[in-house]
Amino acid sequence: MKKLMMKFLMISCNEATLLMAKKEEGKLSLMARIKLSWHTSMCVLCKKFEKQSLEIAKEARHVMAEEEMPFFTREKIGRLLEQELPGK
Amino acid sequence: MEKLKSKADPQKWLEQYGDLLYQYALPRVNDTSIAEDLVQDTFLSALKGLENYKGEASEKNWLFAILKNKIIDHYRKRSTEQAVLAIPDMHIMDDHWFNEEGGWVESRMPNDWQPASSLVERKEIQQIIAGCKDHLKTMQKNVFILKYMEDMNSGDICKVLNITPSNYWILIHRARLQMRECVEKKWLKT
Repeated sequence: MKKLMMKFLMISCNEATLLMAKKEEGKLSLMARIKLSWHTSMCVLCKKFEKQSLEIAKEARHVMAEEEMPFFTREKIGRLLEQELPGK
Repeated sequence: MEKLKSKADPQKWLEQYGDLLYQYALPRVNDTSIAEDLVQDTFLSALKGLENYKGEASEKNWLFAILKNKIIDHYRKRSTEQAVLAIPDMHIMDDHWFNEEGGWVESRMPNDWQPASSLVERKEIQQIIAGCKDHLKTMQKNVFILKYMEDMNSGDICKVLNITPSNYWILIHRARLQMRECVEKKWLKT
């Protein structure tokens, strides 16, 4: 019985990493949450994966390009805005 | 309202927020001319919509909200052509992270590294993320951008990109695996 339950709870690293993506959106059933936390409590690799993926998620929203708007584009937009300005 | 209109100074907008908006848009659309168009459209929409600007958000946040809508529209418009492109993306199985039992393949196991702590390090990892994102296949890149750089939820992303939820989870799963591996490689080199 105990063996059967263990087998039922066991998920692979492939499944666990997929469940982590769903977990971010609160889309996991209670059962899936139990399976996932049981897996990560034992699997060092998936634990690292989760931590590092969270780091990437945290920083991704702050990604900005380094280069500035090209000079000619700025000029062009500037002229356009001047024309469109209400009251002109 | 008239007061607001007369106060609007688009040249000042351009000067103050032009680069910021462009630097935000560029890594999210991956194309300089599209980014330029979106910034231009943002300013034009802002001018047209001055009456709707209630002054609740700061001018900067207001302009960014308009730009973010433009970015999503850009993806929505392209979704029909890209849904076709997604099909090959879905079936490429050359990305083996796991063996037949679903365990990590030894050469692709996550290594140890520390998250960015200082401001300089954070900028560094953000640039690495931007670079790695460009190596993703088209549809994986699209879901990654909308999910993690635009902070949308999966349901909205499916609608915008015109894909099914099951396709979405396959794409985002692979994108996450690919991104973590790429960021790790570059981050450990710094």
